[in-house]
Amino acid sequence: MNEADYKELKKGGMMRQKEAGLFSVRLHVVGGHLTTAQLRAIQEAADRYGRGAVHLTARQGVEIPFVPTDSLAALKEFLLPSGVGVGVCGPTVRTVTACQGCRVCPSGVIDSPELAEAVDRAFYGKPVPHKFKVGISGCANNCIKAEENDIGIKGWTEPRWAESACTYCGVCEAVCPTKVVHVSEGDCKISVDLSGCIGCGDCIESCPTGSMAEGSRGYRLFAGGKFGRVPFLGKKILGVLRTGEEAIAAIEAAVEFFRAHGKSRERFGDTLQRTGFPALETYIRERLGQKV
Amino acid sequence: MIPFLDITKDVCPMTFVKVKMGLTKIAPSEKMNVLLKEEALKNVISSLKTEGHKVTRVERKDDAFLLEVERSENPTGRDG
Repeated sequence: MNEADYKELKKGGMMRQKEAGLFSVRLHVVGGHLTTAQLRAIQEAADRYGRGAVHLTARQGVEIPFVPTDSLAALKEFLLPSGVGVGVCGPTVRTVTACQGCRVCPSGVIDSPELAEAVDRAFYGKPVPHKFKVGISGCANNCIKAEENDIGIKGWTEPRWAESACTYCGVCEAVCPTKVVHVSEGDCKISVDLSGCIGCGDCIESCPTGSMAEGSRGYRLFAGGKFGRVPFLGKKILGVLRTGEEAIAAIEAAVEFFRAHGKSRERFGDTLQRTGFPALETYIRERLGQKV
Repeated sequence: MIPFLDITKDVCPMTFVKVKMGLTKIAPSEKMNVLLKEEALKNVISSLKTEGHKVTRVERKDDAFLLEVERSENPTGRDG
């Protein structure tokens, strides 16, 4: 097989194996969600075209290894009716990871799988200067590790203190994991330093009187994260976005920014190190009409 | 005399299990006192609120908290 064929193959998510003539076929999975019918199709495909085994990847994906070159097209066609496509590699927007979100998890603030599907529909496989990963955690517990992604999202709840029924009991101050809530009983005042707030909502959930109420609830973005050889944690950007549509628009603007400023084979975080994170925030705010 | 429950030596999920057991021993609208460590505050209070009970008073006791809990008339929530 010539190099052009290989590049074409690689676009389609066929990972060349160490042993010549064999490929590990990457499947298109969104947020780690597969139906049992799809799992049965994958099982059958792995039996027919591979060696009866699958590999679960680090980012909720599935690969079928040991597929010979002459079975690649047949495998792709076999999986087609189940709705399981072949994945992508190279400089593209990659697998979107997600937790089970607020429809399943008691801690969930946002519907992570629904947003993952929307992000996937809008950006999956689209060309960018280097691989670009999006991960969505439904809440501050961050099971999906948002900061490891080029764009990470967390469900976020910020408090707003209303003094009416407050007894200054100190529970909010005690439960705050980042110690940004300060009770001043003498002054009858509670202050929250939102810059250090991690959006967990513990102060709201624990408040006996309901005085610590929900101020804003939505989507918080982190940009420029990656793992690999030189890990870097993504940084919190913008304010709390209120809707999934706003989150999608912000990601779209971030992808545009990356295309405009990123060098080939440079990860988003490295681009942002050069441009500065405020440049990205300014760009996104302009695209979203300053409202974030 | 309001019943008193010390769960400072317990960890989650026993903290809330014990509070729940305590609440079954009192009548609706009656109160009990619960002494607990700071780390149990969030889970215990949020679970109580979810089930419709009320925390009517909070008092700091050195490195612990004393909660006065009022049993709901009609407990709600998944375990209610």
